[in-house]
Amino acid sequence: MSLIPPETRALVGQRLGEPVTATLHAEDAERFAFAAGDENPIYFDDAAARAAGHRARVVPPGFLVWALEPPRGLAALREDGLWRDAGPPLRLHVSRVLYGGEEWEYFGAVHAGDTVTAETRLAALEEKTGGSGPFVLITTETTYTNQAGEKLALVRGRRIAR
Amino acid sequence: MSEQRHVEDVKPGDGLPPLVKSASRAQLFLFSAATRNPHRVHYDRDYAKLEGHDDILVHGPLQGAWLHQFVQDWAGPRGRVLALAFQNRGRAFPERDLVFRGRVAALEGDVALLEIEEVDDTGAVLVPATARVRLPRRTA
Repeated sequence: MSLIPPETRALVGQRLGEPVTATLHAEDAERFAFAAGDENPIYFDDAAARAAGHRARVVPPGFLVWALEPPRGLAALREDGLWRDAGPPLRLHVSRVLYGGEEWEYFGAVHAGDTVTAETRLAALEEKTGGSGPFVLITTETTYTNQAGEKLALVRGRRIAR
Repeated sequence: MSEQRHVEDVKPGDGLPPLVKSASRAQLFLFSAATRNPHRVHYDRDYAKLEGHDDILVHGPLQGAWLHQFVQDWAGPRGRVLALAFQNRGRAFPERDLVFRGRVAALEGDVALLEIEEVDDTGAVLVPATARVRLPRRTA
């Protein structure tokens, strides 16, 4: 039996959910950099960022994804601690979804104060067989755009559903 | 701050100075908080064991942030990371050394292509990765 119901397969190429928009806060970006143990001054200091050719300090690239997480209540938590609506909203005949990696393309620096919109598309669903049985490789493509309409980044995210 | 690297300093085959990371449990907690990630496998050892892991797990995106740091620190402040791709193949645990190592695979104009891997203390490759980085020229 296929792990991918026909109505889910029909979503390939389509946008997933509504676009999400949020403003990036400097202190949240600093918290991310500190938590990652990356204290590069371009993330903390405007003068250092300007010396590096930026117009102001930049946010760590990985922060972009998390800055757009919406606030949610405790009722939105699943048993495993994940949000019920986390990840692509896809119905698959699987019990678990694992993080498989990412491909980032950066088109310009991202600054605190930017208002960023993310739009995600389901790029591919591939059924495969691995050491622990059949699985579905889910590939999504998320485009990040700033308030001026400039494309900031494209992220291809991979998840393994089994 | 890391020193600036220029195109003229780089040739294919060059190795990158390794970066060693070891996450404390408190760091994993802080990263969960900074990324608004309540997934229990990153702080609840009993729950992580229930899911078949020996211990709590280092976040995939934290390893992604380390990869970015590894590449940006090598390039220096005026280097620009144009692309970074990584696959999370194995589980990374806290309080264990994780080593990032890499080499320059090719140089195309002022863009260096890097091949990178993150290896754990048993020698297993947890994350293979590639990056493209634009470097400044020494003379403008």
